[in-house]
Amino acid sequence: MTPIDRRLVFSLNWPLLLLVAGLFTVGVFNLYSASGVRVEEGVALNPYYQKQVVWGLAGLFCMVVVMLPDYRYLKSLAWPLMCLTLILLAMVPIVGKSVYGAKRWLDLGAMSFQPSELAKISVLLLAARMLSEASGKLGWLGLLGVLAACLVPAAMIVVQPDLGSGLNIVLLLGGLILYRGLTGGVFKTLIVAIPAIMPLAWRFLKPYQKQRILTFLNPENDPLGSGYHIIQSQIAVGSGKIWGKGYLEGSQSQLRFLPEKHTDFAVAVFSEEWGFIGVIVLLSLFAFFLLRIYVSARDAKDRFGSFLCAGVFFYFFWQITINIGMVIGLMPVVGIPLPFISYGGSATIVNFCLIGLVQNVSMRRYVFKKS
Amino acid sequence: MPVPFDREGPPAPRGGLILLQILTLGLFCLFIARFWYLQVLRGDYFGDLARSNQIRETSISSPRGVIWDRNGVLLAVNEPSFALGLVREDCADISATLGQVAEWTGLETSNLQEIYLRGKKRVKTFEPLILINDLSFETLAKIESNLVFWPGLEIIVRHKRFYPRGELLAHVLGYVAEANEEELEKDPTLALGDAVGKQGMEYTMETRLRGQKGRKQIQVDALGRELDEQVIVEPKGGNNVTLSIDLGLQEHCAQQLEGQAGAVVVLDPDTGQVLALVSQPSYDNNLFVLGLSANKWQELRDDPMHPIQNRVSQSVYPPGSVFKLLMTTVGFATGMLKYTDSTVCTGSYKMGNHEFHCWKKGGHGRIDLRGALVNSCDVYFYQLGERLGVDRINAVATECGLGVPTGIDLPHERAGIVPSTAWKKKRYGVAWTRGETLNTSIGQGYVQLSPLQVARFMGSLVNGGRILKPLLDANDPPLEQGRLPISDKDREFIVSAMVATVDAGTAHKIWRPDARIGGKTGTAQVVKLINADERKKTVDMPYKYRDHSWLASFGQKDGKSYVVVCMVEHGGHAGEAAVPVVKSVYDYLFGPVRTQAQSKSQPQTDTAPPAESD
Repeated sequence: MTPIDRRLVFSLNWPLLLLVAGLFTVGVFNLYSASGVRVEEGVALNPYYQKQVVWGLAGLFCMVVVMLPDYRYLKSLAWPLMCLTLILLAMVPIVGKSVYGAKRWLDLGAMSFQPSELAKISVLLLAARMLSEASGKLGWLGLLGVLAACLVPAAMIVVQPDLGSGLNIVLLLGGLILYRGLTGGVFKTLIVAIPAIMPLAWRFLKPYQKQRILTFLNPENDPLGSGYHIIQSQIAVGSGKIWGKGYLEGSQSQLRFLPEKHTDFAVAVFSEEWGFIGVIVLLSLFAFFLLRIYVSARDAKDRFGSFLCAGVFFYFFWQITINIGMVIGLMPVVGIPLPFISYGGSATIVNFCLIGLVQNVSMRRYVFKKS
Repeated sequence: MPVPFDREGPPAPRGGLILLQILTLGLFCLFIARFWYLQVLRGDYFGDLARSNQIRETSISSPRGVIWDRNGVLLAVNEPSFALGLVREDCADISATLGQVAEWTGLETSNLQEIYLRGKKRVKTFEPLILINDLSFETLAKIESNLVFWPGLEIIVRHKRFYPRGELLAHVLGYVAEANEEELEKDPTLALGDAVGKQGMEYTMETRLRGQKGRKQIQVDALGRELDEQVIVEPKGGNNVTLSIDLGLQEHCAQQLEGQAGAVVVLDPDTGQVLALVSQPSYDNNLFVLGLSANKWQELRDDPMHPIQNRVSQSVYPPGSVFKLLMTTVGFATGMLKYTDSTVCTGSYKMGNHEFHCWKKGGHGRIDLRGALVNSCDVYFYQLGERLGVDRINAVATECGLGVPTGIDLPHERAGIVPSTAWKKKRYGVAWTRGETLNTSIGQGYVQLSPLQVARFMGSLVNGGRILKPLLDANDPPLEQGRLPISDKDREFIVSAMVATVDAGTAHKIWRPDARIGGKTGTAQVVKLINADERKKTVDMPYKYRDHSWLASFGQKDGKSYVVVCMVEHGGHAGEAAVPVVKSVYDYLFGPVRTQAQSKSQPQTDTAPPAESD
């Protein structure tokens, strides 16, 4: 491994790092508040925020590891990694362990492992590789090739069932394809075809998944059942008003009206306590965060690097869209966490790894001149 | 590093880059707009929702007013009642706990299990599920000392209505019981499990007795756990009520009627206050307070003696000869009867080819109005009835408050009947017959009055003609509902005739030398007899065919005035059942009579046959 060049350090996407640090800090402080639960004897704390700090440190380490090898090696790894992913996904229904009625985990003795997390990275790498191989807009042939390669793992994940992760992969892929651009004919056909396939897809959804979408469309129908989450989360957000109730003062979260407040609804806790002013700050952080990834995609020295960054962009973009959209009632309830704000071990590690990937591309944008 | 960079074409697709920028900007704007809508535009709305989410308002029960008798003796009180509850969340082993409870209380474990399973559906895990409602002190002591070893068990103190004299005042006080669906719906201040008056004074005085609930705010979490509470409005206890009832007199009257079915009512004629209101047989109203079992309810309802029925105001009976007081009043009121009007009683009165008998087989001979009242001559009143016609009788009776509810503060009072031609046409669709007028004239046939109506009428005869509402609340002022439509002189005539009836007539047994007592007996046939020969001695008849026995009376001594009316169902002739009861009531009211006076003044009581059969 070559010693780290001064220029590499200089070319790091420093603003992105700072934004990630900012978001992660907001996330930990917010988790501290979300961990508090008022009980008869005062306030009880769940140790989520401490664990999150540990996961963050582990993520930081993983990020540095991902930054070190030149990302161009990954290109050749794309296919083998995809094969490995498919094998692992195939094993899940056979030897996987069942949690909440869904088989998503592989037991590796000391720790459990979700092949669907690996699948996200495999799809990202493979799609970036396939789409960056040629320039110009994508025709039918190229499109079908990419879809054939990447939709197989997505389908396997959806049947686990893990709609959230499957959706994440499909959306990531879709984003990357649009990033590359489609030829006029293909684009027009898809505009017509995709809405036509939707009713067909509806038939493959599980009843509880259908219920979630129906409830999203009309939460008041079922205020104590599945509509409860949507209503309570909007009450939490709305009752924050302009200035918020103050840190640690959110009644909706402290009194447990808010569901899943460490994970999926963490941003509702934030909105309740910090109000519209806090929300502007948080959304600005996310917007600049996405724009900094965009900068790395723009400045990348080769197409593969650029597509990698765009993939990471879409990965985060969709998570932010779906998660916050769900909290404020613009999206159905889908279990997708908010990057750096929601509690979650493996999600944090993956997020940091992806930032490492972007840094990897960013820091090597001038290497080309030297060779 | 041998890895080559891909140099074909521009590294990043331009369209793609623009797409990324547009997406970021679009998302930012969309979210800001939505947060603006939720937090700024509708912030107040959601703020209210969040507040009502966590603040739950509940009510604080207020103690019900107590009820005293006129001398301050407690008749209805609130007692703490101890219930045993089980908080599932805190209970480690439910079946073991239920087993232990069974051992303490001697109940079947399977019974407790059943109660537990039933309660489980309605009661939340952190709320106490009531296993046993009313623990005895003995069981309570046993459980309380062991409670620490059985987490989850809890003694819950509640207030329960208690009637120390139970049966004695059941018909006056009525009872409270848990509000039913209908009552809950009608009254929004009532909550599930609240007790409301269902019968008697508890029912009619509900608004006074109940008081006002307080309100408190409880901060709760999403599971409904209470974290903090704050009283917003203090509860206001209900008003206490002092009854006009004299407990000692009530008890005495009840004892006199013990073992019989009947009613005694004692009034103060000058105020209308009810001093005693007894209906026998009675029931223990405490049974209803904690919920009556279906079996017990069935038993009470199907009891052939109808213990739940308040015979004073809810039952009506043919008044028999007592009605002759009204007939005289009607005669005076219409100007169709003079003191001197006399007739010859031959023992029967012929109408068409039907003969109407006088109770006295040989007849009374020539008899005037006073004599007819004192000796209760039926023939005299047949003739009077003929002259008056039933519609006049009906009109004046209504004016006198007979066949009209008295308005006493007790529920489900019955109006009774004083018939008229229109009434019969409406009720049976056929015309009135003259013979029916004759039956009406002696208080038989369709006439039905409640003992309370008779008492009110008797009161108006002796208080100067004022028809007063019978009052149960000692603090209510007298309420005049009307006046007798006759002159004071005519009224005094009737009163003096009643005194004569006691002095030497059919009610002589209640005579005493130291008081002015007047009265009128009545014997009401339950079954229609074809002719007088079929009349049998009471003891020879089956119980349900025996006549009702009436005595309506007043007594005055030392400036005190009372009305005492007694009706004994199937008591036979007045002298056999009602008279001893009334006599004993006057003994209680006026004290025992000096013996020498008694022996001197009652020469014929034991030797002579009953002076009256009526």
